[in-house]
Formats: sequence, structure tokens, C-alpha cells
Amino acid sequence: MEIFKADVVIVGGGGAGLRAAIAVAESDPLLKIALVSKVYPMRSHTVAAEGGAAGVKKSTDSYDYHFHDTVGGGDWLCEQDVVEYFVKQAPIELTQLEHWGCPWSRTEDGHVNVRAFGGMKIERTWFAADKSGFHILHTLFQTSIKYPSIKRFDEHFCVDLIEEDGRVQGVVTIEMSTGEFHLIEGKSVIIATGGAGRVFRENTNGGIVTGDGMALAYRHGVALRDMEFMQYHPTCMPVTGLLFTEACRGEGGFLVNKDGYRYLQDYGLGPLQDKPKNKYMELGPRDRLSQAFWYEKQKGRTFEHPTLGSVVFLDMRHLGEAHLRERLPLIYEMAETFMGLDPAKELIPVRAGIHYTMGGIKVDAKCAASLPGLYAIGECASVGLHGANRLGSNSLTELVVFGKLAGDEAAKYAKAVSPGNSSSLLKQAQAIEQRILALKTKTGGTESIAVIRKEMAQSMEDGCGIYRTEDTMQATCDKLAELRARFKNISIDDKSSVWNTDWLTAVELDYQLDVAQTMAHSAINRKESRGAHQRLDGPDGAYTKRDDVNFLKHSEAYYVADGAPRIALGDVKITKSQPETRAYGAAGEKADQERKASHV
Amino acid sequence: MSKRKPYVRSMDGWWKKNPYFVEYMIHESTALFVAAYCLVLLVGVIRLGQGEAAWNGWLAAMQSPLSVLCHLVLLAGAVYHTYSWFKILPITMPPVIVGGKKMAPEALTGTALAVAAAAGLALLALVWRIAL
Amino acid sequence: MSENHKIIEIEVLRYNPESDEEPHLEVYKVPFTDDMSVLQGAQYIKDNFDGSLTFRWSCRMAICGSCGMMINGIPKLSCETFLRDYYPNRIRIEALAHFPIEKDLVVDLSGFIEKLEAIQPYIIPKEPKTLAEGEYLQTPKEFNAYIQFTSCINCTLCYAACPQFGLNPDFIGPAAMALLHRYNMDSRDGASASRMELVASEEGVYNCSAVGYCSEVCPKHVDPASAVNINKANAAKDYFLRFLSPKGGSK
Repeated sequence: MEIFKADVVIVGGGGAGLRAAIAVAESDPLLKIALVSKVYPMRSHTVAAEGGAAGVKKSTDSYDYHFHDTVGGGDWLCEQDVVEYFVKQAPIELTQLEHWGCPWSRTEDGHVNVRAFGGMKIERTWFAADKSGFHILHTLFQTSIKYPSIKRFDEHFCVDLIEEDGRVQGVVTIEMSTGEFHLIEGKSVIIATGGAGRVFRENTNGGIVTGDGMALAYRHGVALRDMEFMQYHPTCMPVTGLLFTEACRGEGGFLVNKDGYRYLQDYGLGPLQDKPKNKYMELGPRDRLSQAFWYEKQKGRTFEHPTLGSVVFLDMRHLGEAHLRERLPLIYEMAETFMGLDPAKELIPVRAGIHYTMGGIKVDAKCAASLPGLYAIGECASVGLHGANRLGSNSLTELVVFGKLAGDEAAKYAKAVSPGNSSSLLKQAQAIEQRILALKTKTGGTESIAVIRKEMAQSMEDGCGIYRTEDTMQATCDKLAELRARFKNISIDDKSSVWNTDWLTAVELDYQLDVAQTMAHSAINRKESRGAHQRLDGPDGAYTKRDDVNFLKHSEAYYVADGAPRIALGDVKITKSQPETRAYGAAGEKADQERKASHV
Repeated sequence: MSKRKPYVRSMDGWWKKNPYFVEYMIHESTALFVAAYCLVLLVGVIRLGQGEAAWNGWLAAMQSPLSVLCHLVLLAGAVYHTYSWFKILPITMPPVIVGGKKMAPEALTGTALAVAAAAGLALLALVWRIAL
Repeated sequence: MSENHKIIEIEVLRYNPESDEEPHLEVYKVPFTDDMSVLQGAQYIKDNFDGSLTFRWSCRMAICGSCGMMINGIPKLSCETFLRDYYPNRIRIEALAHFPIEKDLVVDLSGFIEKLEAIQPYIIPKEPKTLAEGEYLQTPKEFNAYIQFTSCINCTLCYAACPQFGLNPDFIGPAAMALLHRYNMDSRDGASASRMELVASEEGVYNCSAVGYCSEVCPKHVDPASAVNINKANAAKDYFLRFLSPKGGSK
């Protein structure tokens, strides 16, 4: 087995992993960094983020506003000390990206421009047309090339962490082009593997978004926190789930039902606005908008498209072709290529689809997990920024703010500890190799990977969708247990070594089943409605409301070998914002004024 | 021991594999037509230097039916070369900014072709007048 | 959706390095709907007929750059190419031309990645600035000078379209040159002189014979041919400037 001795190992080469790698390299050029990614870094799913990255920019804005938008948007399940740190670091890190060459869109006088985004009180979303994630990712990847201490392991698939003496000491990977195993030793390990949206059926996520890092940490006893909170994005392309960025609405697009009626005014987001107004109508938060879609469907006011199913419409016709081409070029092309329609002339059929995993590997405010030496950042982590619902454009900023922090922390840790015992690490790695190889070499299996994956995704959509009940969630929990059992009997067609994606897909599915179980069990355990977790049941509908007495708590899912996860509840850090009614539109503005008055 | 065995495909006959490449090869080969006519003119200059008899002989040869046919073929080749050369002009020269906007490739090609045609006609008119 | 299932024949160039001496074609009959991309066709084959079929893919929305293939001989992103546009004819998919085939539709991209790394694809500031001093200003004119060349998704379709790269794999090639040009044209950068050596080198722009097909197939309208050709002029200028002035030109 090939062995590489690094100081810091980073698993995941998306925005967070790259930012962390640069942070380690800048903090001490003598530290050896191994950056492991199952795809070339610029393929990572950061690439698909469209709208932008939030950070205070305008003189009329303040850290406090950004803090309150985020905490309120998260339905008070955010770690407030984390949010305070985040809002202050955000503009610094976004400026850093500018210095590294990120082509942020500009105002006429040459400054970085900001746009409106859902749930944000003031325009503070830095954007690079509608390819913000693409530009951030490529900027970070290209900048990372400057640092010789970053050794990339591109197209290496991580199969396990190595733990010894009570701390993490490395990872084992499969080099995809050969099928050979590598032991990458490290004094600290940062997981930055992204979300897990592919456990659901209709989603905006790339095929690689399979929750790998979450499952890796989870199997080593680290809790997955707040996994029941899955964000539905209200404007996705039906069937494929491809994303029409929130910036479509930030730029002034409307959402209308089959009667051409801007239905959001019926769901506490009104009154009607002609121009985009922050926190009103189409610029409400994603959970509220997705829920409104669900209600419209119940009321029979969605359009029943013969092939696409139930849809509402995104109307951008009044914005004109020139403006759309400048601000939303990717969206324009996607509508043309994938749907064969012209957004300057026609309505775009859309519906809510799975978009973002709010929960993840439980880490503290310094990105450290409970297993010493292990850090997690980005969508795979739960640092406590998003609470029960993420505000659009906070997550791209999260990548760089916490990528930097985790890089600094992991570097410090790596310098403080001594190297491990290489021969016993190798022994562990060899045992892992045998376990993973067995998955491929075993014969006589009858279950198809694709079938199990599809049943899982359908079951998650049925049981853990926008609205949930005990029965549907229980059915999903049962189904997942069944699939877990059936997984043991899978058959893998491809027995080869070079580029065996059949085998790797099976390993991914194994990860996905773990992650799906934490979501379903965390969900059924939360007997209230908060943010993206909405229930329709309970005695006298008790679970349809937020319950701060019992559930102003994080859910924490712990791994139980061969069984359902154990769910515990953890405290929420509250510093300066006590839970209030979460209001948007005119009601939200009134609540804001009352709060201001009471503070004076 | 790695089981990798990357397979490298042959480039033989690459230019036949795509209509775009065929067109490219025609474009490139018509450059030979232009070169051929340069040779013809060069021979003319040499003949001129060799005295009146040589020069008249050359002129007579130029007027033979075979030579006229040859001229037509070379002219067709040269015209095609000019056309296809200007077709790729937009990618071979720096962007032309007009009124703050990048000039469209079609406009660039069109302008270049128009200029070439005008220059050709002007030359023809000039030679015509001298000949008369 | 199920009522109008049509069947299309997809012919795939298969190659397994562990059992094959050379690639061969296999045909699959794939039921499809009008919204299905060629990528989804390949996924259907993998999920239902042969799990060993190997290809790269991820985002499905033409931005990650993973899923390029030769589709009926033309380099395209398979996620944004639709089966309906080929039906009822047979469609042939092959690994991207001019790259070594690792397995089936997966090619060896390591050479391309090395080229990206070689061009210093990062800002080397003209005037260093601290974060506290805020962002660099860029006028619309300065911004427009480079923005087009930032759009490259590294899908390498342009390399599959470049016969000169096929004939000389060392040629730095369209995408890497476009990225080099992107940094040279950025008003924040001051290192174009140090990138010039590579531009004019043996592997540099003079390998290009202006076929122009790279720009034709680029799914993001980066126009790499333009970047390459502008740099031919730049390299020539740089060469002559070296004779004229001790300060002019690089080195």
C-alpha cells in the first residue's frame, strides 16, 4: 500500500476544502497538506451554486442585521456565537476572494456589487453573475496551485478514517484510476465533503453529493446534528431538479400559480410588491416559499403539466432579455437548453426540490469535532450557522469563513501533536482495504445498487418531504432498515480495478443509507415544527407549532452498529436573540419596529 | 502493480473524421493556389528581364486556352482562400471594440470580405486602365 | 411519461484495460423520454444493463465540466445533449478524442491538469493590497477585458476538437491558454511577463494552426482560439521588443 505522510489531511476539494488547504499553507509553509477529492476539485458541487455569498457591504447594513436575519431565518436553532463570528468574518473573506481574482460583478464605479436575496433585510449578497459558486471554486482551485505544500490526491475516494490513541491519524483512499489503496497519514483531518441531497429523489445536487464525510465521521462516533432539516428550494426545474437561483427573484422575478396569481401574498409574505422588497413576497425565506408551494398544490392551484407534474411558474418576462442576459446568463441558457423556452417571453414551470443539508457533522465554534484532531466544514458540517433553515447565500460565505478557521485550527493542532505509530496505522489501513475489497469480490448477491438507491430516494421524499407526519416518517424509517438489510446482499457487476465506479457507487450507497437513517430518525423524534421541519400531526395538531419548551434543542444522531441511530438532544447557544415569532412581509417589519422600540 | 493501460487512439486520417477538419484542409490547401499564381507572376518578371522576345512569348503563353483555364482555377482557389481566411479572422485577431462593445464575428468577417472585394475591384480597374 | 417510451440505440465505445487489447463498440437499446439527455441514456445503461459502464458526471447542468464525450463524432457535454435530437437514428458515444482512454468513456486528464498548473493561474498582484484596504476597483472596461475568459469549465471539449493537440500532446492547448490570457488581462495582475516564456515556448501558441474548431465546440463561449491567437501576436511583439529595448519583453 502506498503511504503518504501529511501533517493535515483534507477530505473534499470543494470551496471549503480548498480554502482550508490555503489557510494551512499560509499559516505554515512547512506543514505538508494532503488534499483528497473524489473528483478534480473544480468539479466539486460548489461549482453549481448560483446566487452569491452574503457579507455586509453597504454602509446602511450592519453585522447586527445580518446576525438577526440569519438567526431568525434559522428559526432560532443557530449557535449564536458562531453566527456573530461569521457575520464579522464574512466581508473579510469575500474581499480575500476578490484579491485572489474572483470576478465579482461590479458597480459602474468599479466596486463590488451586491444583490437582494431571500430573508435578507438589506442587499448584501456578493455575486459573480449567476455563477458565483463556479467562480469562487475556480478562483480557490487556481489560487491553491500557488502553494507547493498542497499535495493533491485528485480522484481519490476516501473509504475510512484511521483512529488511534483516541485521535484521528489519517485516512484510507482508493486511487480511482488504479483501484489501489493509499494510506494518508495526518496529525489532523478536515472533512469538507459537502452535503447529502442525493438521498432524496428530486434534488438540485450533483451525483457526487452523497454524504460521504458525514458517514465517515458518524461511524467513528461523532454525532450528526440537526439532520432532519433538509432545505427545499422553491424554484427548481421539475423532474431533473436543476436549480433556478433565488437571484431570479432577487432580480425581480415573480412566482405565480396556474391562475397567474402571486400566491405568496396568502402566506404571510405580503402585501404585494411590484419591485423586489427585502423579506417580502418572493424574497421570503426558502422554507416558507416551499411550504406555500405545498399548500397551493393542496388547494388545486398548481398547474398540472402532462409530463412535468404539479408546477407553479417563475415569471421573469418583465425584466427583459438584456437584463436577464447580463445578470442571469446561466439561468437563461438553462431555460433555453433544458426546457426549450425563452424566459424573456415565457413563464418557467418550477417546483420545490431538495437543495441543501442544514445538518451535518457536529463541530464546535472552532470547527472541531468530538474526535480529537477531526474538523469539519461546509455543508457536511453542522457548525451551527444555519439552524433550522439556511438563508440563501450564507453557505458560500460559510465555505470561506470556516474553511479559513478550520485550516488555522487544524494547523495548530497538527503542530502540537506528535506523529503516530506508522506500523499500526498501516495495519489498520490493511484491514480497511480487506473490508472494502470484500464488497467487490463477494459473489452470489442479488440486489441491485440502482434499485436500492431509487427506493431510498423515493422513500425519503415520501416520508421526509416538505410536510411530515408520524406515519410517513415511520414508514421511511422502516424502509431504510429494510434497505440496510438488503444492502448486505448487493451484487457488483464490475470486478475490475481500474476506474471501477460500480464498486465506488456501492460504497457511496452505504454512506447514503447511514445518512438517510439519521435524517428520518431525527425527524420523527422532533415533535414540533421549526424551519424546514414541518409536521401536520400531533395531539390536536400540537406538532404543527414550534415548541421552544421541549425542542429549542439540536438533534444529535449517534451511530449504533447494525441498528437505527440513537437520537439525543443538545443545547442551543443563545447570546443575544431570544426566540420570537418568525415573521416576514408587513408583519415582519412591524415586529422589527417593536423590537427596536423595546431596545431603546 | 497498477493495472492501468491507457489506450491511445491513432491520429491517422484525422482530417477526414470531421467536416470541420475537411474544410480546414481545403482552406489550407488553397494557399497552394495562391503560391502557384505567385510563381506564374515571378516567371513573368524573369521573362521581362530576359528581353522583349521572352516577354512576348510569355504573354502569348498566358493567352492560350489552357492558361486561361488555369487562371480560372487559380482564381477560384484564391477567392476561396480569401473567403475562408476572413471567416476565421474573428478568432485570429484581438477583439475590435466599437462604441464600447465587441464587434460581432459576422460583422468582422463581412467587413473584411467587403474590403477585400473593394481592393480587388480597385486593382482590377487600375490594371484595366493601364491596359487600355 | 411512460406512455410515449421510445427506444433509441446507443452505441458505446467500450474499453476495459484489464481485458481488452483495444476499444470496441457495443450497442444498447434504451427506452427514453423527450427530456432525457445523453448522460441519462448512459446512466440508464449503467443502472439496467451493465454496471461496469464507466463515465464521469456530476452536476447535470453544464457547469462542472465532467461529462464531455464524443457524440456522433462531435465533442459535447452529454448532460445538455438530448436523445430526442438523434432519434430515430442510432447515436454513438465515445471517449473524448485526442486523450488516452483509461476505461470506456473516461480519459486521462492528468496532462491537462499539469498544463493548468504550469501557467501560473492565479493573481500575482501588480500592487499588493491588504484586506483592510478593501477590494481592488475594476472599471467596466477593465472587467470586460478578461471576464469572458473566466467562463471556462475545464471540460476539455476544446482539446478533443484540436487536431494539433492530438498530433502533439505537449501543446499547452486552448483551455490552458485561455486561462493564462484571463490572468494576463486582469487589471489586478502584474505577471504577464513571467507567463510569456511559456506562451512562446516549444509547447506554446505556435503549435496552433488556427483550425478554430475549439471555439466552435466550447459550451461556454470562452473562445479559446481567440486567446491563443492574440498571444501569438503578443509573443511575436515580445520577441522583437527584446532587441529594441533592454527593458522591453520578458527576459
